[in-house]
This record gives sequence, structure tokens and C-alpha cells, in this order.
Amino acid sequence: MVDLMRTVLQKVQVEQTLIDQYAREAAKIVGEDNVSVNRADLLATCRDYWPVNNVWMVEGAVPALPQLVVWPQNTSEVSRLLALANAKKIPVTPFGEGSGALGGVVPLKGGITMDLKRINKIRFIDHENLMVTVDCGMNGALYEEELNRAGYTGGHFPQSLRCSTVGGWLSCRAAGQFSTRYGKIEDMVVSLEAVLPDGTVFSGRSVPRTATGPRVDHLMLGSEGTLGIITSAALRIWPLPGKRHLASYTFERLEDGLEAIRLFMRAGTRPAVVRLYDAQETGNHFPELGDKRCALILIIEGSAKIVDAETSVIEDCVTGQGGLDEGAEHVEHWLEKRFNIGVASMLFQKGAVLDTIEVTTNWHNAHSTYLAMQQALLAVEGTMLASGHYSHVYPEGAALYVTMVGFPGDHKLAYYKNLWQAAMEAAITEGAAISHHHGVGLHRGLWMAEEHGSGMDVLRKIKAAFDPHGIMNPGKLGLEEVQEWQK
Amino acid sequence: MAEVNMEQLLNCALCPNMCRNECPVLQILGREAVAPSGKARISAMIKEGHLAWDEAMLEATSNCLGCRGCTIHCPFPELNLCDELLFTRLTAKADGVGLPACEPYLNNLKRYSSPYGQKTSVVVKPDQGTEVLIFNGCTSLANNPASIEAVRSLLNKAGVSYQMIDEDCCGYPAEVWGDKELARQLAAENNRKFKESGAKKLITNCPECWSTFTRRYPDWDQQVPLEIIDGPTFFLQLIRDGHLQPTQSGLPDQKIDPGNKTVSYHDPCIWARTAEKTEQPREILQSIPGITVQEPFTFGACTRCCGGGSMFQLSFPRTASAIARSRLEEFPAGAALVTACPFCREGLFQDGRPVLELVELLDRACQ
Ligand SMILES: Cc1cc2nc3c(=O)[nH]c(=O)nc-3n(C[C@H](O)[C@H](O)[C@H](O)COP(=O)(O)OP(=O)(O)OC[C@H]3O[C@@H](n4cnc5c(N)ncnc54)[C@H](O)[C@@H]3O)c2cc1C
Ligand code: SF4
Ligand code: SF4
Repeated sequence: MVDLMRTVLQKVQVEQTLIDQYAREAAKIVGEDNVSVNRADLLATCRDYWPVNNVWMVEGAVPALPQLVVWPQNTSEVSRLLALANAKKIPVTPFGEGSGALGGVVPLKGGITMDLKRINKIRFIDHENLMVTVDCGMNGALYEEELNRAGYTGGHFPQSLRCSTVGGWLSCRAAGQFSTRYGKIEDMVVSLEAVLPDGTVFSGRSVPRTATGPRVDHLMLGSEGTLGIITSAALRIWPLPGKRHLASYTFERLEDGLEAIRLFMRAGTRPAVVRLYDAQETGNHFPELGDKRCALILIIEGSAKIVDAETSVIEDCVTGQGGLDEGAEHVEHWLEKRFNIGVASMLFQKGAVLDTIEVTTNWHNAHSTYLAMQQALLAVEGTMLASGHYSHVYPEGAALYVTMVGFPGDHKLAYYKNLWQAAMEAAITEGAAISHHHGVGLHRGLWMAEEHGSGMDVLRKIKAAFDPHGIMNPGKLGLEEVQEWQK
Repeated sequence: MAEVNMEQLLNCALCPNMCRNECPVLQILGREAVAPSGKARISAMIKEGHLAWDEAMLEATSNCLGCRGCTIHCPFPELNLCDELLFTRLTAKADGVGLPACEPYLNNLKRYSSPYGQKTSVVVKPDQGTEVLIFNGCTSLANNPASIEAVRSLLNKAGVSYQMIDEDCCGYPAEVWGDKELARQLAAENNRKFKESGAKKLITNCPECWSTFTRRYPDWDQQVPLEIIDGPTFFLQLIRDGHLQPTQSGLPDQKIDPGNKTVSYHDPCIWARTAEKTEQPREILQSIPGITVQEPFTFGACTRCCGGGSMFQLSFPRTASAIARSRLEEFPAGAALVTACPFCREGLFQDGRPVLELVELLDRACQ
């Protein structure tokens, strides 16, 4: 059988006899149905939503291939499978739903991909203590649906809600659209259960806070599969909100909108959704508002009396900065369209390279970072659009989300790298943090040393302590250089 | 012959699976290769010549119920993923790749014109000028003769003259299992019998047959020469016209909760999302006195598949049954289940509670 799929980033593989041995022993742990070496399964788990993967796919290539896929069904199986891989020093790449945006699931050195989707139940809803214990492989939308049926919300709505897992959120420090009220995923974590490469299972206490040394379970947050596998988590939940108030405003200048937000956050309000768009994105998402002003959309929800009070404080701050009331209908429109990303595939088919980059700023550099990143991106030859919005806000600052589209002709990969280089440099120069919620994966590892400074060595020491044989998701989080993928 | 729409297939292959929560096969198997976009990627790469068929790829891309659950959130209105997968799979045969698990059923089709083996035909000869031809479908004939009896009884009560013929399988299973030529032959034979019958209207209670007659026959150059009417619309009209008058609940006594007169309707995917018939069955239920209708968690156009679409009960029985059990969790406890599809009835009949076809309940309700 001819097979033209080639691997672009993979230069090494595990010796086949080791994989064969592992397959036999793994089948004893999880059953034969839960181990696969067939091409359909290897191809399916070799990639995520890193845009580069799509560029390669249409050329008939993949970044790298695992040699075996295994589906554990519970924590104990994860533990035994990891210990087995560790003993044989076979790389293991955890796989959730592959919605990661930076190549995090690419099995750079082959080996085993551990698909976690068969560990996928809500274990327990604790009504009195307002917590849920949920398995890592549960799909986001089904998690929220099951909570809703019990009268709760998980409060976490990334745009990838329907195509990502709880474990993926925790591993990448994800953020949902309602994060200003409910928090980023790390704010929702009460405790985690995880497995180390040697098979050790550990978990934190599901109590509100502790003062018993560093929370080792929390070390797994954002570790992107490089330290071990998160198998379940106790997360905060909230009773479904009694009232929801929708509001939208426009400002003459982006800075005015930012100042309004800074003021209402300072005043102590916590609207669930706060999204401030530059004029270009305002025109794209809300054509009826035109493309001259900057739109702010807000959702304030919770108990009715609190919502009313917050609404009143927010209105004062917004109108004080010249915000014009544009009504609820634009927010309804956003609620309806917020998961629709069809345009990305259509533009791709027309030859575009499209990506988004999210960084974190404080208030003092929120606007300057936007300007600097936009300018840097537009300076890259081929860029047609570089626009932005702020979508997660805190008393100390905001996340800036930049969208860029370019038509680089045949030089897609070079263009892609140039775009990122320009954006990251501008963000670092302005003092922003290089990621707010997409994480690092493979690609953003290129700027991790600059981001962390001496902290990077500490991270490497933690990695060495947790994973002495370096089997967990090699080549990610900037922990080691990847020869085939340089700046 | 229907061609793969490459632009739409690629749209799907490029998508990060924004509908994966609604794909019952994926949710049961937790296997990336059967994710909507996972199947589209394999198909697209095969169509582009980057990959060649092997059994695992054929098996993965066959893991589609045709339920169109993925369309609920899909941003591409022109994309019909199940059709694109089906059309791509048709190229596997030429490469000598098939699914061994489906071979016995294909052989049944070739030998008996039914995937279930020896056919049990119910033939009712027409009276002079009989316009109505009832097409029962292999699955009702093989698994639930009671629903055919209910149809006959209802037509008698309504005073409708009808005929039933020695029907052959509609052909869809043959195409699903990769043998389009066989599908076409079965269609031609049915069409010959339809013409010969002198009937004007073809009524079927089987959504798969309905979908095949309306959507696949034209594609096989086998346009059905009769007006095709779905069962729910046809029986509702008989009620609206006063030919059928439900007078009692018709619910069989439940062992667990005998006094419970709650009914929950499971929307078959094809009636709900392809034919857009979600109101008709509910109006029929509302016409029945003494019952309370309570919706399951997902219903109407957002219904979730019972696991029986695209011949899954034969091709992938374990997956089909696991999907059915998951769907059953969405129904209110204690309610009797009513549906309007022989595959759904078969699939949902798992946890001991009554599952009736709509025609069976209606017949029991009409004296
Ligand atoms: C259309 C779209 C919109 C998006 N919107 C958002 C958004 O609004 N907010 C946001 O934060 N992100 C967003 N993302 C990014 C992505 O969805 C998140 O990073 C998500 O958390 C990844 O989850 P996943 O289950 O798909 O993980 P995967 O992509 O499968 O894995 C991500 C990384 O985590 C590791 N991993 C996965 N599960 C585990 C586990 N249980 N234990 C250890 N390691 C594990 C993997 O090895 C990999 O390194 C978006 C992505 C897309 C495609
Ligand atoms: S069917 Fe639609 S939503 Fe689902 S993966 Fe394909 S393109 Fe995406
Ligand atoms: S039609 Fe149903 S089974 Fe097929 S991909 Fe779509 S949701 Fe999944």
C-alpha cells in the first residue's frame, strides 16, 4: 500500500520491538480494544489545531506520528501505563480533544499517545460545598450540560467549549468567555488528581485553602503534559444565575473603553463577560455599529440584586468615559455567533494564513501593547489584517487577543514564523506576558526563555524531578530545543 | 453519480471538530479517528491521493450514523458530512478494501434482497383504484411485525384502501456497505414493482427508506415514480380529516409504574433533521387523550441518535447499543417511550420500559 503522508518534524522513533512489547503489556492492563497501532488512529492523534498542521495536511504531510495509541479508562490504568512506559523510557504524549493551538499534542519523538477521552465522567457533584469532581477526558460542552441539568454552571466557556476537555483546560491554563466573573480555569481549581511518570498517583485536598507548603497538585496546572497526567479535578461550580443583564456600548477611542473597564474593575464589579473590540473588529463582528468606534459588550449575571447594583456602577464608569449605550441586541448576536469559526477554514482554502495570539498586559501597557503588536504584524509582508480585542479583564490588567490574516503565497511557513516572531518581540518589548491562555505547546516554546529568565532553569529542575527520564511530552513548553522547529 | 464536494469536505477536515460533543459515535468510543473532522481528514487525504485505503481507515470513516448531529453547530450549511463520507467510502471497493463484519449482510442482500436474511413479506393485494402503497421496510418486517399490523389496522379503521407488495430492501444498506451497484439494482427492482402496482402514493414509516427514496434514488438515476409521503405526515392527515379518532390513551400497562401515563417521544434523526418532521408526531400524540407528553433532554431538531442510523445495529452492534443506553439516560424516568422509526424502536428497547412505534400507540388509542 502506498502512503504519501510524510512526517515533517519527526527525526526519531522508538525501536519497534519496544513498542511491540509495550503493546502486549498495555493490552493486559487496558484490554486489546484500548490499544491501537493502526494508521487511522495514529494519524488522528498526531496533531491539534496549530495552524501549521493544516498547512501540512493539505500538502499530504503530518508533523509527527505516534507509534501506538492507548486509551486508559481510569486513574489506576493511567498509573500502570505510565509506569510501564517509564520503565522502557518510551515517550508519552497526552491527548485530550486536540484543540490546542500550538502543537502541544504533536508526538515529536513518536512513542505512545495516550488518548484520555475514555476517562470522561462527572464523578460527584457536591451540592453543599459547591464543587464537582470531574474526569480529565470529559468534553467541555457535555460537562457544562450535565452541570446545567443539576442546576449549576461550571462558568467556563472557552470558544473551544465543544471541542476541548477538562484535562486540556487544566493543562493549558485555559480561559473562558465568562472569565471575569467565574475566573480562569486555575481560579476554579479546588484540587487536582494526577499521575507522575513513575506511576505515583497524588492529589490535593479539596478544601478551600491550605497552608501546608506549596500545593504540589497545582504544579500540574499549565504543565501541558510535560510533568505527568492530570486525571481528575475538583472544580468550583455556581448555581445557575438568577438574572442576566446584557449591555453594549461604543467608544470613540480604544483607550477610553480600557479606562472605563479599569474603573469598574477597580470599583469591585465582576461582570461575567467583558469584551472590548478595536474599531476594525467592531466593524467585522457588528457591522451595524460601523467601523469607526470601539464596541464594548458586557454580560452581568448572578443574583438579581447584585446584578442590579453592578449594572449601576458599571453604567456610571462607562458613560463617564464617553461610552454610548448601544442596547442588548449586539450582545445577543454575539451569544449566538460566539462559537462560529467557519471563516477560518474558508479563508484557509483561499490561501490565507490566519492565527490568533493572546498576551497579558497590565493597565499601563494595555493600549501600547496593542499598538505595538498591530504595527509589528502589519509590517510583515503579506499581512492583510491585524486587529484586536480585550476579552478577559482583572483589577490588574487585561488579556489582549490579536487576530491576523495574511496571504503569503507559497511561503506560508516562513510567513507564519515571521508573524509570530514580530508579535512576540513586540509583546516582550512592551512588557506583556507572552501568553494568557492558549499555552505554549511546541511553537511558543521558542520564547519561553525570554519570558521566564532564570525561572526557566527552575522549571527545568521541576521537570527533571517529576520526569527524570524525560518521557512526558518531549519538546514542549520550551524545556528543550527542537532542531526541526526553530525561529 | 454524486461526487464528493471537495471544498466542503476540506472545510470539515480543517475544522477543530466544533461539533464533537454532538457526535454520538465519538462520544461513546472516545476515539479521535471517528471524530467528525477526524473522519473528514482521512477522507480528504484519500481523495487527494495522499493516503490509500486500508481496513482501519474504512472502518473509521464508516463509523458515521448519518444522524447529522454534527450539523447542529456546524458553520457550513452546505456541508453534509455523512454524505461526503459515504461517497468517499464508495471508492474503497475498487481498491479491494471492504469491512469483513458487513460481508454477511451484503451477502444476505444479494441473496434475499434483505440484509436480515430470508425475507418475511407481507403482501396485500390492491382493490380497484387503490392509490396508497405502504412500504414497510426490511427492519419492521424482520424485527417488529406488530408495527405492520398496527399500520394495517389503522388503515382499516380509517377506511383507506391500500396495498403492500413483495418489497425489496430500499438499497441504502448496500450503499452504506460500499456496493452501489447492488443498491441500484435493488432500487430498480423496487421501482419496477412500484410502477406495476398502479399506486400513486408511496407511504413509509421507515425514515431510512424515506431518505433513500427521496435523496438517494435520484442519485442512482432511479427516481421513484410515486409521490413519497412520510408516515407521520400521512397518519396525522388521517386524524385531521377525522378518519382516525383516538379515544383512549392506548398505553400498555407498565409493570414498574402502572399508573404512569407519561409518554416521551424520541425524534428519529432523519425525521427531525432531514425531513424536518418534528411537529407532526407531536400533534399525533396531542390528539391522544389521557396521556401527558414530556420531552427528553434533547429533542426536535437537536435530538440525539439512538445509535441505529446507517445500519449500525448490524455493522457495529456494540457501539449501537452503547449509544442507545446513553440516549436512554435523557428520558424522564418512568415515561413510556414512543418513536417513529423501526431502528430507534429496536435500539431503545433496552432497559425494560415499553417502547412503541407511534403507529402502535395510535392504533391502540383508536377503537
Ligand atoms: C476554535 C478554538 C477556540 C479556542 N478558544 C479558546 C478559548 O477561548 N480559551 C482557551 O483557553 N483556549 C482556547 N482554545 C485553545 C484550546 O481549546 C485549549 O488550549 C484547550 O484547553 C485544549 O484542550 P484539549 O482537550 O483540546 O487539549 P489538547 O489539545 O488535546 O492538549 C493540549 C495540551 O495539554 C496536554 N494534555 C491534555 N490533556 C491532558 C491531561 N489530562 N493531563 C496532562 N496533559 C494533558 C496535551 O499533551 C497538550 O500538550 C481554542 C482552540 C480552538 C481550536
Ligand atoms: S461537521 Fe462542521 S462543525 Fe463538525 S467538524 Fe465538520 S465542519 Fe466542523
Ligand atoms: S452524522 Fe452523526 S455520527 Fe456521523 S459524524 Fe455527524 S454526528 Fe457523527
